Amino acid sequence: MTESDVIRFCRFLRANGFSAGVTESVASVEAVRAVGPDAVRWALRAAICSSKEEWDSFDRLFDVFWSGPPLDQRLIPGRTAKEPRGFWVLTGEPNGVARPTDRDAAEIAGASPYARLKNVDFSEIPQTDQPALDRLAERLLKQMSWRLSRRRKIAEYRGGVDLRRTIRANISRGGDPIKLRYKDRKTQPARLVILLDVSGSMSLYSMFLLRFAHALHRHFKRADTFVFSTRLVNVGTMLRSRKLADAMKALTGCSADWSGGTRIGGSLQEFNARHARLLSRDTAFIILSDGWDTGNPEMLAGELRSVKDRVRKVIWLNPLMGLENYKPLTRGMAAALPHVDVFAPAHSLGSLLDLENHLRT
Amino acid sequence: MRDIDAVVRGFDASGYVLDRALATAVYLVIRLGKPLLIEGHAGVGKTEVAKVLASFLDAELIRLQCYEGLDLNSAVYEWNYQKQLLAIKIHEKTEEEIFSPAFLLERPLLRAIRAESASPVLLIDEIDRADEAFEAFLLELLSDFQITIPELGTIRARHRPHVILTSNRTRELSDALKRRCLYHWIDYPDFEKEMEIVRLRARDVGPELCAQVVGFVQEVRSLNLSKPPGVAETLDCVHSLGALGKTRLDAEAAQAALGCIAKSVDDAAKIQTEGIDRILSRVAR
Repeated sequence: MTESDVIRFCRFLRANGFSAGVTESVASVEAVRAVGPDAVRWALRAAICSSKEEWDSFDRLFDVFWSGPPLDQRLIPGRTAKEPRGFWVLTGEPNGVARPTDRDAAEIAGASPYARLKNVDFSEIPQTDQPALDRLAERLLKQMSWRLSRRRKIAEYRGGVDLRRTIRANISRGGDPIKLRYKDRKTQPARLVILLDVSGSMSLYSMFLLRFAHALHRHFKRADTFVFSTRLVNVGTMLRSRKLADAMKALTGCSADWSGGTRIGGSLQEFNARHARLLSRDTAFIILSDGWDTGNPEMLAGELRSVKDRVRKVIWLNPLMGLENYKPLTRGMAAALPHVDVFAPAHSLGSLLDLENHLRT
Repeated sequence: MRDIDAVVRGFDASGYVLDRALATAVYLVIRLGKPLLIEGHAGVGKTEVAKVLASFLDAELIRLQCYEGLDLNSAVYEWNYQKQLLAIKIHEKTEEEIFSPAFLLERPLLRAIRAESASPVLLIDEIDRADEAFEAFLLELLSDFQITIPELGTIRARHRPHVILTSNRTRELSDALKRRCLYHWIDYPDFEKEMEIVRLRARDVGPELCAQVVGFVQEVRSLNLSKPPGVAETLDCVHSLGALGKTRLDAEAAQAALGCIAKSVDDAAKIQTEGIDRILSRVAR
């Protein structure tokens, strides 16, 4: 086996989704040189892999590459093609929206529109008021981001005396600690993991909630968002683009099952199996869903509990809580509630902005 | 120069069953001086690799246990402030004098860099628990093996430490860190390998009991528990049953040793619903 074979193998792995870069190529050449021919597989595996996922697929790719004619760019077959769906996210017209009646419109489009719009249920906002709501949403969410970072600054003044710098500052006074220097504690903003229900029953709200998620991404550097209905799709990278319009455009291309059925428990299970490492003690886990689950409620409860064990806070925002007389009686919701730290409404801008209070601590 | 077989034999002598793949990785750590990142479930012997490596190389083992909020003061170095204050008061020392090595408290990482005689083994345990900021600091250490102390300058390692990092995968490590390391994933051992481990570590327990316990634990692992039992749990279980004077694993013994295997109420309940008898009968086959 020559060095160029090893390099070609690295490139082959890269083409198959490995993150192996130049460093790994160099390391693998060194590693192969250091061991005998019978240990090449293991040497390469140690040098090139950097995660369990890569570790698991290494053996197969190794066999494919070293047996038969080497293929530079062969890809693992069976990747599902992405279907462009979810057009309504772009246009802002959810499927099957009931047209607002004239009476509703008259009620809402009155004086001081902003104050009112803020507390109107998303599902009841007439099309004519959409642009106004968009502007308001953008402004308020921006303010919220700003306030969250400001609070963090003030909190940084807590912390003990920094002996090192105290001594430094007082050497000219013979070392007596006259002028104290304090440690400013660097608190990191929480990590956010957002699971957003985009199933049919949520279609009236999903668009606003996606905007909301986008606003949160702007403030929290460590945020991840998934949308789910029957399965889970990671949309974090799409929401990370700065402009809302770009983010929404990217989202329309993703393969989520927009407006499908709901499997909250199943989606959570998938999350726990594949993405649980995103959770840590400083994570706030936010579920945006109405709790209509067609799956098994025990499974939902179990999966949610294992999330709760690993995070600081589980926050469930439910748009239906805006309804009068709403009680969380659906089986899924009832099963989930014991494992939820904060259960709050998410039907209007005002209620979404309240989240700020829960994220502060 | 030692070869891979020597590594296997050396680890075997210390009671650690090393497969060829991990032996190759360990060999590369010694040969290439690269850090090795070991991931795997709890209780599969990640930490043990570093300990045995230290005794194999007859080197000092320096351990840094990571935790949330671990900072440079407790990982790298700290000035001995009390001593500095006294020195200023009593001996009227100047700034230059009190920021000298005599006033420096070594913490694990600095100790590993300043090792005098031979390369130590540096174990950075459960790196996934430390903050990302700390991980970023480790990058400098792991690529250049040097530490910068503003008052003293840069300290370069005279003997490159052999570095083993372990992670339980509770969070994703940064790409930059992973890029600097060799990688090994330790999976649960298969029946034969686990038997070998148990035989090596619990010599005073009968082979029949060992085989039954290993089989039982292997079955339990397939039950999808929230905390599946590792090899450490198997060993606990074998030792406990040995101490209770059991010679074979029956339903009663399994019930008694359940606490060694299931580490939460839910897991215990899951095993009970599955039925200990039923699991045992599967083991017998």
